[in-house]
Amino acid sequence: MTERNLTIGEGSSLQQNWTLGSLEAGQLTQAKRKRLPRRALRGSQILILWSMRIYVLFMVAVVVYQIWIGAR
Amino acid sequence: MSTLSNASPGILPSGPAAEVAEEFAITHEDIDRAQDRERVSIARAKGGFASRFRLLWLLVGPGILVMLGENDGPSMLSYAATGARFGIGFFLPFIVLTFAMAVVVQEMTVRLGAVTHRGHAELIFDRFGPFWGWFSMIDLGLGNFLTLITEFIAIRAGLGFFGVPPWAAVLSALVVLYLALMTHRYWTWERITLALAVFNLIFVPLALLAHPNWSSVGHALVHWKPLPGGLTKDTLLVVLADIGATVTPWMLFFQQSATVDKGLTTRDVRFGRIDTILGAALAATAALGMVLVTAPLLTHQMSAENFQAGEFAQALQPIIGRFGAALFALGMVEAGIVAAITISTSSAYAFGEVARRPHSLNLPLREGKAFYSVVFLCAAAAAAIVLVPGLPLVNVVLIVNVIAVLAMPPALVFLFMLVNDREIMGNMVSPRWANMLAALIVILLVSAGVLFGVSVVAPRVFTFLGGS
Repeated sequence: MTERNLTIGEGSSLQQNWTLGSLEAGQLTQAKRKRLPRRALRGSQILILWSMRIYVLFMVAVVVYQIWIGAR
Repeated sequence: MSTLSNASPGILPSGPAAEVAEEFAITHEDIDRAQDRERVSIARAKGGFASRFRLLWLLVGPGILVMLGENDGPSMLSYAATGARFGIGFFLPFIVLTFAMAVVVQEMTVRLGAVTHRGHAELIFDRFGPFWGWFSMIDLGLGNFLTLITEFIAIRAGLGFFGVPPWAAVLSALVVLYLALMTHRYWTWERITLALAVFNLIFVPLALLAHPNWSSVGHALVHWKPLPGGLTKDTLLVVLADIGATVTPWMLFFQQSATVDKGLTTRDVRFGRIDTILGAALAATAALGMVLVTAPLLTHQMSAENFQAGEFAQALQPIIGRFGAALFALGMVEAGIVAAITISTSSAYAFGEVARRPHSLNLPLREGKAFYSVVFLCAAAAAAIVLVPGLPLVNVVLIVNVIAVLAMPPALVFLFMLVNDREIMGNMVSPRWANMLAALIVILLVSAGVLFGVSVVAPRVFTFLGGS
């Protein structure tokens, strides 16, 4: 079915079947509303995330410092 | 029909949509995306060169947009300043290398989007928790907003060359952005923005007008000359900033979300890679063109480090003529407008993904109020700020540079972890050799970001290298 043959009206079953035939399940808008589960992290990955938390503090400090220098 | 996702059952919905028809209702966004996919299926089913070319035409977009969008106002000014300050020796091959690194990084976002059909912010939120999800979105939003200000500065300066008053310049840019948005169709929005983005290549004919010594250019590209004056504190900072700005956070979020919005699947990953490489090649060409345009300013011993767009256009007029200077100014306007469009869209995608609001350029206005509001209001607010008299816009540019470089490490680390998450990527995770290459690049970019941050708070730390 080509787009020229689309019937008007989102509720039509023909249009619905055509849409479902063109997409993968994961592409449906409402399918994407379901959240993915949290990732089970290994020790090294937890360490990386904690390092990033420390990095974020460093990053905020640098940005605040840059703003303060600019404001002076 | 697209191939099945290779993800583990139960983590991501997989298989044809028809199998889950009873579970999920169809939306307007689904119908629009299905229309785009139908065209791809028809082109794929046909054989022959014309069909392959049509398939390429249908599937390119996010990669070219993100790479040419990265050639935004501040970036093009940075290339201009590089050419005027250092000439062509070191930085011509260096620019090519940075775009090659960008391809490696951006390719991961194509795979993530095509396999998971979910945006970057969404994946960070789901897999690593709300803290990192909201942090990524707020960090991106703040950086993007400040960057948008610099884009409107470029637009104002570029159109100012023609005597256009600032309010008219920013209003014109907002109108262009608004018109592209109001198509309510990803495909149309993408084609309009691509048409604008290709104008970034204006710097190629401008480079020709500068009459470079092509033998020297070829030599510079093949033989990597050392940094002029050696590795001093100043040149190291330029190199660190350029490495750190190779990829900016909005690029990761935008390309993945645009890949999802465009409806690419695992079957299209190869074309997604071609799209990314093509975008990098075009953007690198434009960047090299800019360096060649302003390199003569070094020969004329003109100190152009802190020039703005209009000042460059005027300084270049004796070299490339009045027409060339006008094209230069228009090129800066284009750089600002395309970046404004793509950056504000990346903010809206990230907001929608984290806040669980509809987020697609296929949405009709009534369904996508929050999404379109974020796009337009971010841009409008940034445009308004540019019009405030007496605002220290130079300081804004400096802060944007710092944030862009510093915000990359967390974004890169999450990208690397997500693309190696076998539960969502299945056997589309990177092969070992690609992982090692990506890891090397991520470590390099993260290190450059950290060192740059250190140099901001402790400028004397690199004094041992010499320089001012």
